[in-house]
Amino acid sequence: MTAHLTDLRRDVEDFLYREAKMLDEQRYDEWLALFTADVRYWMPITETREVRQPRDHVPGEWALMEEDSRFLAKRMERLAGGLAHSEQPRSRTRRFISNVLVTPGPDDDLVAESNFIVFQSRRANSEQFFVGSRRDRILTSAEGWKIAERTVLLDHRVLPRAISIFF
Amino acid sequence: MTSISERPVDAAAAGLHDLVKPDEGVVSRTVFIDEAIYRTELDRIFTKTWLFIGHESQLRAPGDYLTNFMGEDPVIATRGADGGIRVMLNSCAHRGMAVCTTDAGTSKFFRCPYHGWTYSNNGDLIGVPRADTVYNGELDKSRLGLKAVPRVEIYKGFIFANWDEDAIPLVDYLGADQLWYLDLAFEAPLGGLEVIGPTMKFRIKANWKLAAENFAGDDYHVLYTHGSAFQIGFLPDYDLLADYIANFDHGHGMGDISKPGRAYQNDVGMAQFLGPEAIEYVAAVRERLQARVSPLQAEMHGLGEGNIFPNLSWIKFGVFHVFGLFQWHPKGPGEMEVWQTAFFDSGAPQSIKDFARTQMSQENAAAGIFGQDDGENFEQITESARGFVSQTRDFNYAMGLGHEGEIQEEGYPGRLGPHFSEQNHRNFYRYWLELMTTPGEQK
Ligand code: FES
Ligand SMILES: [Fe+2]
Repeated sequence: MTAHLTDLRRDVEDFLYREAKMLDEQRYDEWLALFTADVRYWMPITETREVRQPRDHVPGEWALMEEDSRFLAKRMERLAGGLAHSEQPRSRTRRFISNVLVTPGPDDDLVAESNFIVFQSRRANSEQFFVGSRRDRILTSAEGWKIAERTVLLDHRVLPRAISIFF
Repeated sequence: MTSISERPVDAAAAGLHDLVKPDEGVVSRTVFIDEAIYRTELDRIFTKTWLFIGHESQLRAPGDYLTNFMGEDPVIATRGADGGIRVMLNSCAHRGMAVCTTDAGTSKFFRCPYHGWTYSNNGDLIGVPRADTVYNGELDKSRLGLKAVPRVEIYKGFIFANWDEDAIPLVDYLGADQLWYLDLAFEAPLGGLEVIGPTMKFRIKANWKLAAENFAGDDYHVLYTHGSAFQIGFLPDYDLLADYIANFDHGHGMGDISKPGRAYQNDVGMAQFLGPEAIEYVAAVRERLQARVSPLQAEMHGLGEGNIFPNLSWIKFGVFHVFGLFQWHPKGPGEMEVWQTAFFDSGAPQSIKDFARTQMSQENAAAGIFGQDDGENFEQITESARGFVSQTRDFNYAMGLGHEGEIQEEGYPGRLGPHFSEQNHRNFYRYWLELMTTPGEQK
């Protein structure tokens, strides 16, 4: 690996770790600012299929999350309003990001792949892990990095709980 | 066959009349946490009622299959070479291994992973490794097929199955009064309803009935549980959305029913916001409805949500909303597994399909802003029901008690009630109690 790529990966790791910390610390306004206005945030549904019948996720099929920055902002507004009972009080979360791979793009952009484990603890004894991978397209302009596309693939067929946190 | 009265379930069923008193508007917390009552439900509710299995658009070609649950029993639904749809227990007749281990696919046969017994997709045992030697050629394969669910019936593409051979026909179970409303969801789509993606699945650590009774017509909770949706402008004023709830025989309930014209006006308003294609679409659907259903149904135009007893809930707000199904699969008294399937009009323009699909993800789905708050309620209610003293405090379903039947809307079938009433909960528990205290034949 060239020194340039190693440096770039370090920068990406740094970016993703900071993002994870924002979410763990519920600094949602800062988190929202990491996305472009036209971000495509997509979390398809995982299925259990036959070995000889692998299946790609097709854009246009019903997904767990499929939204833009406008609705992400609505979700934040909802959390701030005091009536989002599923996060009232807030869950404690701890995110672990790993296996970061970076592919530089043609323009000022790159594709970052990473794995995650998110621990969620709610109230007294509601605890679960969410495990999966992400694929981000990140614009790396001089004014600051922005996520233009995010695909989240959860490995669970049956989610341990309804999703009230972010990936 | 053993009579069910000789079985331990009777011990649990005895005394249910003291725990569940729909006419007084009270239900004991015990029925939400008790293991013996739960086992009785699996028998007397989930082997006696019509349960949703899938939709014909998921089994288009011979060989297509899907898996689902009836109560806690895993089943496979297949379309056979003869085009017929069958439902069978997903458990090997030899020693019980699941013979199908995937969500859905296409296969002519199912081979058990344990010893390799092979079943055709109509459930017949067609292959037993070394049958001639290990069983001395004496194995009667004809008696060892996958256990078939005896009754499978389809209503407008929706496949239901029932373990009770003597069950009344599906259309009678759903009932003409309920179907008068539901038909709007089935008749409005220009190209017919089709499944728009995989089934979404998640767990709620709560008793299944809490979700079922909620969809049966607990419109009262929307005001506060979903207050955040109003706060951020995701929904208009709730009082502008609907007027009534209604319930039907066999425990079914429906909420967010609107007066004639209201749902259409709401869709027209939405269409103006969405653009010209949407305006045309609303007009096309209205024309189609006018041609296919009664004038009053066409005027009614849109639905809300409801629960088909016991554990199939649905949601459908106007033409821009998917028809969403929720199966509240019981997983013990304190847990359920939610299976959510979404359907939309295959004949709608792509922009409308995109809108409906994304809106449903954001609204009432695993990560939607409605579903997660509902789940939070159901979990904490179940948790609180376990306390010893808590159990002495019955749940209260008294809203509208003594005022049933006061609401009428000319031509609307079913037992109508005001938008906010617990009459549908009482109707749910009345039928629940009837089934739970009716001994039947053991399967
Ligand atoms: S359990 Fe299926 S072949 Fe033995
Ligand atoms: Fe709700």
